[in-house]
Amino acid sequence: MNITLVMCSLLLGGALAWYAEGVKTQSARWLALLTVLIVSIYFVISITTTGVDLSSLQVLVRLSWIDSFNIEYAIAVDYLSLVLVLLTLFLAIICILVSWQEIQTKTGFYYFNLLASIAGIIGVFTAVDMFLFFFFWEVMLLPMTALIAIWGHENKHFAAIKFFIFTQISSLLMLVAIIAMAAIHFQQTGLVSFFYQDWLTLDLPLSTSRYLMLGFFIAFAVKLPSVPVHSWLPDAHTQAPTAGSVLLAGVLLKTGAYGLIRFVLHLFPQASIDFAPVAATLGVVSILYGAKMAFAQQDFKRLVAYSSISHMGFVMLALFSFNAIAYQGAVLTLVAHGLSSAALFALAGMVYSRIHSRDLGQMGGFWQSAPRMGGFALAFTAAAFGLPGLANFVAEFLSLVGAYQRFPLMTILAAFGLIGSAIYGMVLFQNAFQGKRQGESKGQNQEGENNVNDLSKRELLVFSSLLGLLIVIGLYPNLVLTFFQHSELTLAITSTAGGQ
Amino acid sequence: MTQLMMQSLSPLLIVAFGSVLSLLLIAWRRSQKMILTFTLAIFVCALLASISLVINLTDEVQVTPLMKVDNYGNFAFILILVASIAVGFLSSTWLTHSVEVHDEFFILLQLVVLGAGVLVMSDHFASLFLGFELLSIALVGMVGYSRDSQYSVESSFKYLILSASASSFMLLGIAFIYSQSGSLSFAVEAEPVYSLFYSSGILLFLVGVAFKLSLAPFHLWTPDVYQGAPTPVTLLLATVSKIAMFVVLMKFWFSQTSFFTQSFVSNNNVLSTLNLMSVLAILSMIIGNVLALKQQNIKRLLAYSSIAHMGYLLIVLLIISPQSVGLAWQSALFYLAAYVLATVSLFMVLQLTQCNHEDTEQSIGDWQGMFWQNPLLALLIIVAILSLAGIPLTAGFIGKFYLLTVAVQAQQWWLIAALIVGSGIGLFYYLRIVFTLFNDVSVEKTSSLQLPVVGAKLAPVMSISAIIFILSGIILGVYPDLLSQVFIGF
Repeated sequence: MNITLVMCSLLLGGALAWYAEGVKTQSARWLALLTVLIVSIYFVISITTTGVDLSSLQVLVRLSWIDSFNIEYAIAVDYLSLVLVLLTLFLAIICILVSWQEIQTKTGFYYFNLLASIAGIIGVFTAVDMFLFFFFWEVMLLPMTALIAIWGHENKHFAAIKFFIFTQISSLLMLVAIIAMAAIHFQQTGLVSFFYQDWLTLDLPLSTSRYLMLGFFIAFAVKLPSVPVHSWLPDAHTQAPTAGSVLLAGVLLKTGAYGLIRFVLHLFPQASIDFAPVAATLGVVSILYGAKMAFAQQDFKRLVAYSSISHMGFVMLALFSFNAIAYQGAVLTLVAHGLSSAALFALAGMVYSRIHSRDLGQMGGFWQSAPRMGGFALAFTAAAFGLPGLANFVAEFLSLVGAYQRFPLMTILAAFGLIGSAIYGMVLFQNAFQGKRQGESKGQNQEGENNVNDLSKRELLVFSSLLGLLIVIGLYPNLVLTFFQHSELTLAITSTAGGQ
Repeated sequence: MTQLMMQSLSPLLIVAFGSVLSLLLIAWRRSQKMILTFTLAIFVCALLASISLVINLTDEVQVTPLMKVDNYGNFAFILILVASIAVGFLSSTWLTHSVEVHDEFFILLQLVVLGAGVLVMSDHFASLFLGFELLSIALVGMVGYSRDSQYSVESSFKYLILSASASSFMLLGIAFIYSQSGSLSFAVEAEPVYSLFYSSGILLFLVGVAFKLSLAPFHLWTPDVYQGAPTPVTLLLATVSKIAMFVVLMKFWFSQTSFFTQSFVSNNNVLSTLNLMSVLAILSMIIGNVLALKQQNIKRLLAYSSIAHMGYLLIVLLIISPQSVGLAWQSALFYLAAYVLATVSLFMVLQLTQCNHEDTEQSIGDWQGMFWQNPLLALLIIVAILSLAGIPLTAGFIGKFYLLTVAVQAQQWWLIAALIVGSGIGLFYYLRIVFTLFNDVSVEKTSSLQLPVVGAKLAPVMSISAIIFILSGIILGVYPDLLSQVFIGF
């Protein structure tokens, strides 16, 4: 398994697409799609044939990079990163398919940014040298910001700057924590090291580790996002092009959760346990607040964005419950939410391409003219509010069951979030697909009042693959969960929690 | 003077001798092309001499009590020379516009470099003052060089008066220090008594330096002078004068071992000096960044951002153990190198876009949509701006990483907090520039506003140097060992 190759070929494919667009128009999207497909096939083949046991972290590459600070180029995978990388690659294909018609200007550069961003995200999920991790963490941001700032909607610059500054400031805090960890490593062993597994062996005094944990926690909480630092998300989502929103909701938010699992919980177990009540409260507040705010939105994408905040609250609550079941629920939530929110944002993009508005007040009655779209929309909103049979249900159920053992009261409160999600999900569906078309239809469809074209074949492909996965995971969650049942990760978490 | 001394001083001697020769050359024949070539030749010779020194010099060499040649100073001089060569190139495109022959300009440029060279090598207050004055007086002439420009008189007067007052503060400070230590050399033989007199001497000295580095609250002259001076001269102010002053400040600071020896730090006077330094740093970071927010004029924006950058750099002075001195030097030099790269790139673009429409002020809007018209220049700007903002993949990030490492080791949490807040604010205006580059140029605007015709044709020299600057900005950011391993050898 060669992750470096995957990242390089994505970058190279992006550059090629950029170049090819100048030679022949419309070639960029084909090239981009081809690159991602080939990379995904390579990746799937290499994991099925690999003989390495991935239940614990396996270091694949370890090369020295910056000698002055003993920084290495170190890549490692375990099941967690594997699942997330697969999700990333899958959503990358979805992203390219949803931008097929949408992006008409500067197409080549667009696909370059998209692929570069995906390469960076894969780097984040696999880097185990902390400097390298930080490097990828930032590198994935640059093309993402460009996607929002260049191809976004009316208020794109504001949204892009806000997105960038939130993440940048929080990640500088993380950088300080990283440097401080390296300095502590130097004090204890006489050697500077940024290698993750070296850090696991450090014996940190609790007082210091509390501060360091906070440095990491804030950076990841901003990405997740959790309530006090969430305000970039609705703006970024609303203004981003469809693929940008899909990527943001589908994978970028997961980097925050990944960071919490990989770094916060493992490097600072004791400090995390002490911090757990605060974090769980933040999670519950996010769930309820996100649901409430989603209900109040008039903008399709903003509504879905707030629902993301609500769903990621479950992840936060579950992770800080230190419980094997909750942990499985959290990981499953990552996958399920990645798929369902990606689908909802893709839906928003398709609606926008038809009526040129994201305002729910201007929608309505789409079911008559676009029944397939309506059917899928119903399925995806049902997934979002956790209908049994779909992946989100299993994920949230496991999260709540696990969390209940540690924070009963908060879990009860969090369960109200499910009711909230049903309400805003129905609001969304009713406004868009039932009733009569409201507001003046603008220019686009003058001849027929309610004429909204139904899904094209490409769009059908996007939706059916997403829905298919949601159903498969929903009916047979062990597809994902087997990886995490006996993994070292859960053992480590339960043992630290039990040792308390 | 032994041969070793001669050898180690050779870069400075080349520049000094060269400027005398230039005078003779002018007396013989006035030709702008000739003097430009000669100036560049001098700089390149000095650059080669410095590089060979960096390779060959293993230990520091004391040349008379006045100068001490070490590799840190040598590397700073290399940076100075690189920036000056860029200034020479840029001014050659600028000075072709009028019919006069501008020999004086190049002589002044050589004198600035000589002054900066003396500063970075100095080990004594006398040589420090000599270099300082040489630098300032030559710069005053250059700032006001374009007589017909609107702001030229204002800015050169401002610079003259403020730098004169700065040097008088500095002189008074030096006198105070001398009165207590009895020596004008930086290195103190006996540990001085930290009397009030001595501390106030250091304080006054710092005021002088802070003027030159334009640290808040001594920054007021910076934006006006940056704006009024011709673009190549602004580049000179932003790079050469700041590098030289900062390096000499470091040399002075690290010779005062009591600033980072535990037993002395408890002393009240020492402590207040250190606190003062932190306050200067924090103020500069915040004020520079906040004031840059609303600027439309690129030069003014860069002026304010340079205030912030000098504030960041001050972090390296506040170390707490003698073991950190090496790391502090490496950090400062790396940061300065990244800063010089980025600043030179930006001014290069500024000069190129200015050439096409001289009468307009250089506002950010002029760069609108450049990425789609001239990707090379736009890429140069993007790399430079991201480097200044300290985003990974660029040299500036490694510089910031160095600074944070020093700050974490010294446990200067307040400075770190200010740095984070400062860079957060900084992103606002840096990103604004980058987004402007990507903006679509709408059709109505094209007719009313005269767009810069950048990229119609770039001279091959400029294209090549743009590519070199882009690559070096990225390579140093991805593989900083190229430079940092050199520093470790010092």
